[in-house]
Amino acid sequence: MPRKVAAVAGGLTYFSKARKDKTQEELAAEAARMALFESDINLTKDEIDGTIVSYFSDHFENQLLFGSIIQDYLGFNPKPSVRIEGGGATGGLAVRDAYAHVASGLLDVAMVIGFEKMSEVNTAKGNEFIALASDTDWDFPIGGFYSGYYALMAKRHIEEFGTTEEQMAMVAVKNRNNAQHNKFAQTNPKMNPFAMKDGGKITVDDVLKSPYVAFPLKRLDICLMSDGAAVLILASEEKAKKITDTPIWITGTGAGTDAMRAGDRARKVGGVPVLPHENKEWYRKLEYPGVHSFLAGRESARQAYKMAGITNPLKQLDVIELHDAYTSSEIQTYEDLGLAKYGEGGKLIEQGVTTIDGDLPVNPSGGLIGSMHAVGATGVMQAVEMLWQLQGVSGKFHGSNKTQVKNAERGLIHSHAGTGTYVTATVMER
Amino acid sequence: MTEVYSIDPLVIKTPYEIAYKHSYGGTSKFFTSLPSGKLMATRCDHCKVTYLPPRSDCPHCLGETKWVELSGKGTIHTFTTLHFSGEKFLKDLPFQLVYVDLEGADTLFLTRIKIKDMNKVRVGMKIRMRISREPEFRSSDVWAEPDE
Ligand SMILES: [Zn+2]
Repeated sequence: MPRKVAAVAGGLTYFSKARKDKTQEELAAEAARMALFESDINLTKDEIDGTIVSYFSDHFENQLLFGSIIQDYLGFNPKPSVRIEGGGATGGLAVRDAYAHVASGLLDVAMVIGFEKMSEVNTAKGNEFIALASDTDWDFPIGGFYSGYYALMAKRHIEEFGTTEEQMAMVAVKNRNNAQHNKFAQTNPKMNPFAMKDGGKITVDDVLKSPYVAFPLKRLDICLMSDGAAVLILASEEKAKKITDTPIWITGTGAGTDAMRAGDRARKVGGVPVLPHENKEWYRKLEYPGVHSFLAGRESARQAYKMAGITNPLKQLDVIELHDAYTSSEIQTYEDLGLAKYGEGGKLIEQGVTTIDGDLPVNPSGGLIGSMHAVGATGVMQAVEMLWQLQGVSGKFHGSNKTQVKNAERGLIHSHAGTGTYVTATVMER
Repeated sequence: MTEVYSIDPLVIKTPYEIAYKHSYGGTSKFFTSLPSGKLMATRCDHCKVTYLPPRSDCPHCLGETKWVELSGKGTIHTFTTLHFSGEKFLKDLPFQLVYVDLEGADTLFLTRIKIKDMNKVRVGMKIRMRISREPEFRSSDVWAEPDE
């Protein structure tokens, strides 16, 4: 039997398009310091038994074996450490790996250190580096570009289900405007000294009038590229109860996968693996997953829900932080997570269900669109945000009470790579 | 002299160049068939699945596949028009990407579509694949054109 595991502390850096003031290891130290010294915990640095280091790209960093530099810089030698990489899901996989380390008894207290510095190459080169996480024999040479891949999938979602660009814009507005109350967010110039100058609130009209990057995706439908770090500390049950009065338990975790080339994915009529609250009849005629849905996302959620005993996610979850790389993929993910029927994700945002005052707030931090996407830090940031939400301390850390979801007891974090190649889902609760 | 962008913090230029000798391995035949105008895919007779891009090994049964020629006719499954891209393709902008559903293939194939009026591209449009007369042995040696 795995041991019970809890998140006990977390820390973030200010996120920015370019944190020229600090190196990667200095950013990691900034987040680690917050986790250790600004949390209400009874834990010293020496009590950490090992680290899981989470970063995506050797190309962005121009440094192999960066995990070793982090381990040394933070003073953890000679304790065990491992580097985790899985594209956009790097952070989610690292949190899951740290869970496994603690649940198995290999470590009693583990620190997950996520970081990325994406600013040291120009944006077009950065897009090229990210596109190297698509098939470089087949998909990259024709003009491969992640916003293009997601645009193809979004257009198919529109074609299949009638999703609209207005619904997509509503996701952008929700996430961007949530971020205006999170001091770490890159789009929040009022609270973050490293924020972009043209951040601030936006409207649906702003999104619809922003220029197309890849039809149907416009500038404001697309996530940020960031520099920054995030640190999470996990502990075994015995340790967690000594460290904090408010441990947040990891009660379920799942990981799914699908073909690197989205075109290779199944198009199986009636092929949806249904969740307990769904009816196979709903999807009798649907070709699945095709390029409109993420089987890996569905599979990760199915496993996590089963482990956590969740049979109706919309009712049993109080808050979600999910991987909104694009507004369209947030809508697609609503469906994969079973929050809406396949095809009805657009209606969920239209009905306001996922807004900060809705029944199930999604991305109160601002997510990847409003707060940050420093790839290796992103999934770790979600876990830190969820920890703070469930401890009821989001206001203290964010510098505004407006992001705190009231009485949140159980939440889900969702981390997503490639065009849906690796996806993780993890349930956390009080 | 090292190029210096700023002094505090110190930010310098660090170039990095590399050229790989890249093997296409068992899928080489796709590329080497292009000069003869053939669009080749692979097929697993056991699973009755045809793959393009080709796979030398069938992921379902792990058996070896065999080569088959496709007609190159198909329809557009979905499309996008790019106004920004990775550094390498900025010079081509704007251009259009499509997933095409090709006759005889069970996978969708990602490629560019070349068309006079970009506004005419739509889901379901009939296309045929074209093959470069001077292939560079990259997947961009083939592309879709309208066939209606
Ligand atoms: Zn087979």
